[in-house]
Amino acid sequence: MKGTELNYGDLEGVLKGLLENKVVDCLIMPRRVGNSVSYMLVRDKDKIATPESVIFAPSFGVNAANIVKGWMIAEKVGIVAKPCEIRAAIELIKLAQLNEDGVLLITVDCAGAFTNEVYAANYADIGDQVDSAKIKELAGKGISIRDACAICDNRLADVGDIAIAQAGGEKAIVAGLTEKGEEALSAAGLSLEDKDLDRAAEKEKIEAEAKKNLEELPKISSEEALGEFLRDCIVCKNCRDVCPVCYCKECFFDQPLGNPVGGDLLNLAEARGAIEVPTNQLLYHLTRVYHVSTTCVACGACEDACPKDIPLTRFYPVLAKKVQEVFEYVPGKDAKEPLPFTTYEEDELEECLR
Amino acid sequence: MSIDLGDKKMGEEKGGFEPKIVGFTCNWCTYAGADLAGTSRKKYPPNARLIRMMCTARFDPMFAFKALLNGADGVFISGCHPGECHYIKGNFYARRRIAAMRTILKQLGLDDRVKSYWISASEGEKFANTMKNITAEIKELGPNPMRDKIL
Repeated sequence: MKGTELNYGDLEGVLKGLLENKVVDCLIMPRRVGNSVSYMLVRDKDKIATPESVIFAPSFGVNAANIVKGWMIAEKVGIVAKPCEIRAAIELIKLAQLNEDGVLLITVDCAGAFTNEVYAANYADIGDQVDSAKIKELAGKGISIRDACAICDNRLADVGDIAIAQAGGEKAIVAGLTEKGEEALSAAGLSLEDKDLDRAAEKEKIEAEAKKNLEELPKISSEEALGEFLRDCIVCKNCRDVCPVCYCKECFFDQPLGNPVGGDLLNLAEARGAIEVPTNQLLYHLTRVYHVSTTCVACGACEDACPKDIPLTRFYPVLAKKVQEVFEYVPGKDAKEPLPFTTYEEDELEECLR
Repeated sequence: MSIDLGDKKMGEEKGGFEPKIVGFTCNWCTYAGADLAGTSRKKYPPNARLIRMMCTARFDPMFAFKALLNGADGVFISGCHPGECHYIKGNFYARRRIAAMRTILKQLGLDDRVKSYWISASEGEKFANTMKNITAEIKELGPNPMRDKIL
């Protein structure tokens, strides 16, 4: 692996260099708006100012991969985002929803994030970046990270083309994780040396903590519990729209069969005596969890987007993780690994069918 | 001798619960196996309604979700043995999808009403026995609680 250690102040130059030297045609990266953080699509390098204050900000609004979902354009897009967002982008590449040659994936370290509302409201306490000790301290004050972040075991920048890792103090290690990433950094004007970015011990610690938090999350383990859990769902399908890996151009639940109206609805009510309306509440969620089960990156965007505050992290990421365990598949980990549903082994899985 | 007028009548006559089971079967193996069971006069309970698809790879887990939510007491999927698919590898893909679906259902405690088998065209006997077993298993579980719910 090739990379270099920089001061935070130099990151601005690196990102500007990517645009200036036409390594990428545009960048999608976080920007600060008052106390809050949102994404911007930059084409003019002069619009980038003090990125170090915002790229590590523990705030989650949208999943950046959802912004580029379905972009099959010739121009090259650089994405500066958290590991879950980059992993979603890699899944989109595998799903042919994003052009592999047209993206440069730049991952930043993440210690866990707050919803952007919580982050903005408590900016004075949280600051520009946090570490796990600070998160514990904030939790004591009642400011907690998102459930999805608490159960996340992929917080280190180890996916994508380029990693921007925190190296303690005001230092960052910028390293190319792929050949493409190394070439991009060289083209942006960085002189690279051999860098070791092996953080196995840290990763183990994160995984142990994530596992503990996952076990503490309330389970949905019966039909009644599922009904109760989804009782307030209004089938607005926001969770689908913000999901980076829910990508169908035409969703079944936008079509007459999945979203019946008028006479169709009356016929269904006739057959069953009475039906819940808006209809297909349970079918929608069961179908969707199956659809995203192998590719869900557990970013928790669905929970943030739910207008009824249903804690969907207990449903989508938790169930998806179980399915991913069956296939020993970690979404977004390896761009070359085929999607579980597009491949098979001749002798496998019989124990799951019993 | 009375004529059966659908399940309700049959259930009432026997005073017991007769489950409704939806079976998604592949045209080349299990459906033909059911045919063989019939032509070789094997007796088996009439609770399963078979839906014929050209291959188990046509099976979409949504079909099972929908059947269960609409009150089917049991659902099964059955096709050619792995390696014997008429379309070479359709059931390999199907097996992955079924495994994913059943993993999800297991977590939610809904898996006991869903079964999957491999039954070939020459296994009429196995088909008949499987129908006996699944009917007995579902009878044990009782009616699907979702049947009478407003869903």
